[in-house]
Amino acid sequence: MIKRVRFAVAAGALLACAIDLAAAPPVVLVIAADASNFVLAAGGTIAKMAEAGSPVYVIRVTNDEKDSWGLTAEETALRSRAETEAAARALGVKEVIPLGYRAAELADVSFSGIRDRLIFYIRHYKPGVMFIPNPYTEYDRVLDRYYTGAAAEDAFRAAALENFQLAHADVELGPHLTPELYYYAQPVDPRRKEPESTATFVPQPRSVDIAGTLQKKIAAASALKTVNESTARRLKARLDATERRLSLLDAIDESSIRRLAEVHVRGLGTTEEFRYAGIEFRIPRKYR
Amino acid sequence: MRTAITYRAILFAWGVAAFGADTILLGKLPKGKVVMVMQPHHDDHTTDYGMGGLIARFVDEGYEAYYVRASNDEKDGSHGYARNDMINLRESEEATRILGMKKVISLNWRNDYMGPIPLDELRAQLILLIRKYRPDVILGHNPWEHYQKNPDHRNVARAMAEAWWMAGYENVHPEHMKLGLKPHQASYLYLKARLDWGLGHTPNLAIELNESQVRRKQQAYQTHRNVYANPASARAVKSALARENLTVPEFEGLDDQAAAVRMEEWHMDWISRVRGKEAGVKYAEDYYFVDEFDHLPGLKAYLKENVRPK
Repeated sequence: MIKRVRFAVAAGALLACAIDLAAAPPVVLVIAADASNFVLAAGGTIAKMAEAGSPVYVIRVTNDEKDSWGLTAEETALRSRAETEAAARALGVKEVIPLGYRAAELADVSFSGIRDRLIFYIRHYKPGVMFIPNPYTEYDRVLDRYYTGAAAEDAFRAAALENFQLAHADVELGPHLTPELYYYAQPVDPRRKEPESTATFVPQPRSVDIAGTLQKKIAAASALKTVNESTARRLKARLDATERRLSLLDAIDESSIRRLAEVHVRGLGTTEEFRYAGIEFRIPRKYR
Repeated sequence: MRTAITYRAILFAWGVAAFGADTILLGKLPKGKVVMVMQPHHDDHTTDYGMGGLIARFVDEGYEAYYVRASNDEKDGSHGYARNDMINLRESEEATRILGMKKVISLNWRNDYMGPIPLDELRAQLILLIRKYRPDVILGHNPWEHYQKNPDHRNVARAMAEAWWMAGYENVHPEHMKLGLKPHQASYLYLKARLDWGLGHTPNLAIELNESQVRRKQQAYQTHRNVYANPASARAVKSALARENLTVPEFEGLDDQAAAVRMEEWHMDWISRVRGKEAGVKYAEDYYFVDEFDHLPGLKAYLKENVRPK
């Protein structure tokens, strides 16, 4: 009986939260390892939520200093910061918060250190929706996304518990449980559409139609000029080395780089795939 | 004696029943000159879930092959840490020579203590080697395998999963350029893991092997006498069968050491036949293959349609 009452109260609280959120567009917090992944994997959905009135914030964990062509790491980091902000603006994002970890060096960074910094922002912005890189995605060669996703998933959980980061209580940053969680990844995992389980508490596949915001996604991806040039030049170098050519890249200039970025986004299609954990996934099926 | 049996036939029948007969696409080898195998241990090039046949085929098709052994293998064997290290390295050099490989590069991280090592440092060593040897193809353990309990496998695979492409980026370890090395990215990955450890490793490609490649794989495998081909294992099988009044005709005239070697050879023959049957050929090995543009999922179809020979 006590258990039933407890579940009913919890369900009621979460549903009240949902009704409250339905009244005002929820704050959206996007946690990203790098500049391009959140744009390519979730940009259309983020733009859609921003269009619907949600204030959107992006936390960018690394500084993207490695991915460029002919630039130093310092110059790359500087340009990437400005370009990420431009990409985010194109999607309707209010602010990009850089954490400044060095790109491709997260393996040896304290996991709980990243998590605790994310907890601060979750409690500060009190999001209704969070986007995090899916740490269970297989065959994504950028492991920063795995480390960031794992830390973000833990931060999502720990931000709601008062025994994490006790000093936050002194500055009125109370625990916060984010009702909706989207795990995002580019479609590199061949098994990404397989249901893992239908049990309660397990995030389920969710597809979002982004045809209406595709142009914003293309604009955002095109703003990432440094990484786009790196992709184009590396692709051309590989093709040259193997006696092949792509006519689009016969001459690499701003226009061909931009066109390749557009082809890339269009090639991902007008549907974005997520693993989604909403309110209902925290209420046992019989109480829903 | 009640009857005589063929041990090999039992192994094969069990294998087919256990693994089924789903067909996996047969693949060709990509064009290239250098293949590099990156594994934690002396024997990972040619264990039952390993890659000895594919290495032999790469060599047959003109590749130079190098083996990177990340740990010192001190726990494998019963001779104490230092002697185990030396014996296992020697056997590794002999086994890889049988496969036609040019060199074993030992990084000497402490065996079974690779869980808490600085992963970026291991990755830096792999990047340095990639820039020196400039492999077109890298073979290694699947970093996305599930239920891998050995930290050496998990961490070497993770370091490799970034090293193979990051070695192509100028801003990753720019100090290497002081040696005259240039960035170099390997283009293809063949990943291997056990198939019976959950859902993590699902092969997408089979590679056909010929008789000679399987024979070299068998020979390379049983060369690791410090850990395999142990006479005690043959003794155990013989006495278990004797209790049932059974014998193995192929063991007649062989001492326990020779019988153990024969068993290991059957093991390699059996697993190669099982994988071959799944692919519709006599012998094969299967892999998760990562192609050159798999990291650009939005561009793959476009590139397939629009890239032309020069």
